[in-house]
Amino acid sequence: MGPAVTLVEDSLPTARKTRSAAPATRGRRPGRRRENLAGYLFMSPWIAGFLLLTAGPMIASLYFAFTDYNLFNTPKWVGFDNFTTMFDDPRWQRSVEVTAKYVVIGTPLKLLLALGVAMLLAQSRRGQAFYRAAFYAPSLIGASVSVGFVWRSLFSDDAIVDRTQSFFGWHVGGWVGNADWVLYCLVALTVWQFGAPMVIFLAGLKQVPRELYEAAEMDGAGPLRRFWNITLPMISPVLFFNVLLETIHSFQIFGSAYVVSNGTCGPADATLVYTCYLYQQGFQNARMGFAAAMAWMLLLAVALVTAVLFWSQKKWVYYEEDAR
Amino acid sequence: MGTSRNVERRTILKAAGASAAALGVAATAGCGGGSGAGDGTVTIRYSWWGAEERAQKINKTIALFEKKYPKIKVKTDFQTYASFWEKFQTQAAGGNPPDVFQNAVTFLRKYDKRGILLDLKSQVQAGNLSLDHFRAGVTKVGEVDGKQLGIPVGSNTMALVIDKKVFEKAGVEPHTGWTWDDYFKALKTIHDRTKVAGDTGYFGIMYLYDLYLRQNGKAFYTKDGLGFDKADLTEWWADGYGRVKAGIVTDPKVVAQDFPKSSLSAGHGASEFTWDNFTVRYSSEGDSTYGLAPIPTMDGKHTGQYLASLMLSASARTAHPKEVAQFIDFMVHDPEVGTIMGYDRGILASTEQYAAFKPTDAVNKEIAQYEADTAKAGVLGTITPHPSGADTIEAAFLRISGDLGQGKTKVADAVKQFFTESEAAFQA
Repeated sequence: MGPAVTLVEDSLPTARKTRSAAPATRGRRPGRRRENLAGYLFMSPWIAGFLLLTAGPMIASLYFAFTDYNLFNTPKWVGFDNFTTMFDDPRWQRSVEVTAKYVVIGTPLKLLLALGVAMLLAQSRRGQAFYRAAFYAPSLIGASVSVGFVWRSLFSDDAIVDRTQSFFGWHVGGWVGNADWVLYCLVALTVWQFGAPMVIFLAGLKQVPRELYEAAEMDGAGPLRRFWNITLPMISPVLFFNVLLETIHSFQIFGSAYVVSNGTCGPADATLVYTCYLYQQGFQNARMGFAAAMAWMLLLAVALVTAVLFWSQKKWVYYEEDAR
Repeated sequence: MGTSRNVERRTILKAAGASAAALGVAATAGCGGGSGAGDGTVTIRYSWWGAEERAQKINKTIALFEKKYPKIKVKTDFQTYASFWEKFQTQAAGGNPPDVFQNAVTFLRKYDKRGILLDLKSQVQAGNLSLDHFRAGVTKVGEVDGKQLGIPVGSNTMALVIDKKVFEKAGVEPHTGWTWDDYFKALKTIHDRTKVAGDTGYFGIMYLYDLYLRQNGKAFYTKDGLGFDKADLTEWWADGYGRVKAGIVTDPKVVAQDFPKSSLSAGHGASEFTWDNFTVRYSSEGDSTYGLAPIPTMDGKHTGQYLASLMLSASARTAHPKEVAQFIDFMVHDPEVGTIMGYDRGILASTEQYAAFKPTDAVNKEIAQYEADTAKAGVLGTITPHPSGADTIEAAFLRISGDLGQGKTKVADAVKQFFTESEAAFQA
């Protein structure tokens, strides 16, 4: 709030400033209060939305996490029971395992591809705008249900992926029905949407001063060396941002797993990602207390991973400002 | 200064007014509006699960109803089976279930326990709904602890649907009173001679295991729990998995890919246990000819079969119990409704509708013949109870057996997991 108010006052005509300078000590206060009130009023739809649709449900879900609640009964306080059953539940463990695998494999692959393509597109060449748009497009449509269906058919028996693989003598069959392969089908879907981090990388690459490369080239540094010693450190803040965003995003995977598995999160729980299990427990089995506890565990896990990433940035993220 | 302040205030007031109005509109929309209009017309909400085909038929029957009862309007909604119950559960929890809806025995106790279902006895006594003229015993399916919670629209029974062409090619002929040994031998012959798996995964079907247990003097459920022990299930699943390995039961990888289509209609299996009225589905999904065969037995006689039923139930919270009862009455008794619906939801339950509909196509004729034969064979027993949680357990049974079939779980672990999940489902 503070800076915003200053900005408004600075932009006021000088005439008014001088005129109101004298009675400022008396007249300011009610005026500012009124301005604040106006600000809050303008924000009121958002505040109401936040309180009713975000904060309220969050507090309620925190309470439900410690209760036995099936949507129909009055929630019964059970302390940490939901959490202890969770740790003993093999399907919960399975969902953690599947999600971790998805995050650990999918996120780095996606970012590597995004960075690679961004570096290719950073050079000026003909049709650049077209390529950027083309690579970005999957990020816009990738989360849709219809793409999930397309994915399902691409990775079925005797569909294009199966045929290509078989052509090279590697017979796996469709990935969709195969418990060992289906997760990679989801990984492929997220990697395909590398356009969003790519655009951010592109912006980061544009910020690297040309002189650095010129100087390095003069000193005889090859392309790899330039990438390692100039590009990577200079874009490390952008890289950090992308890692953070994509990791958090990956943890929340739901739609693609739900659609590709036709709502079963199978076969054999192979696509039972965390949110999918949460959904099954909450909305199919009506174990809302358990589902709420699961949701809070997810929040804690994501917060923990974020904290670790933030802690690690001292070691590898370079901010130009620090050097000054 | 003064003027600019005023302008500001006016703008703010306008903005505030607009947002208040927006919230107001949203709030009204959220309530779904009243269901009664000034002229005495009432609107009732009716939802069901099923495919587009069923929806078209039902819409025709609703048009008939609205013609006869011009003061009652019917608002409809339908989904697939799983989505229907997810939505219903949320609506019911929010105190806003549809006034009248399709129901099945698996859900009766669950929603009775939660106070969602209207006991239709009072409407029967008030003369708005008749329980007369039903085929023998079918109304029993909708009874729980002396309450009439559902009125059957059609009856069905578990059956074995076979791909006639494959069976013929393999030279296998199912017959009344055949045993499980005969059946599994037939599957092997089919696989040896045609390379098609004989069955699409019998060991994951709760309703079939129920029949098997009934043949052995048990049942899937008791009044409040499971009617079998871990040793029983271990044997059932270990045998099932062995048959997947042997190739006589369809590879669950293939079943998962065929889904939501059946592996029988996809040509990846030669037979499948399901409800007899579902035969219609196979004919429209697949290219072969499909027929009904008897359920295998232990002793050459008892199949464990019983008549189940799809029902219409009403919400205990409906504001229009009388109109809802009239609606149900019309839907189950009106002969014209019977001719429109056919055997889509099972063999028509009331005698008026049963008499009115004469099947002309081969599939519906076969369904009628099947239930007539089953009844004549005297194998139909009484339905055993389905406690609250049966729906969750049915899904868990199917899912865990699928894991098992993929070789992802050992039989012992699968059995343990199933018993743990059942325990939780009964308590929920």
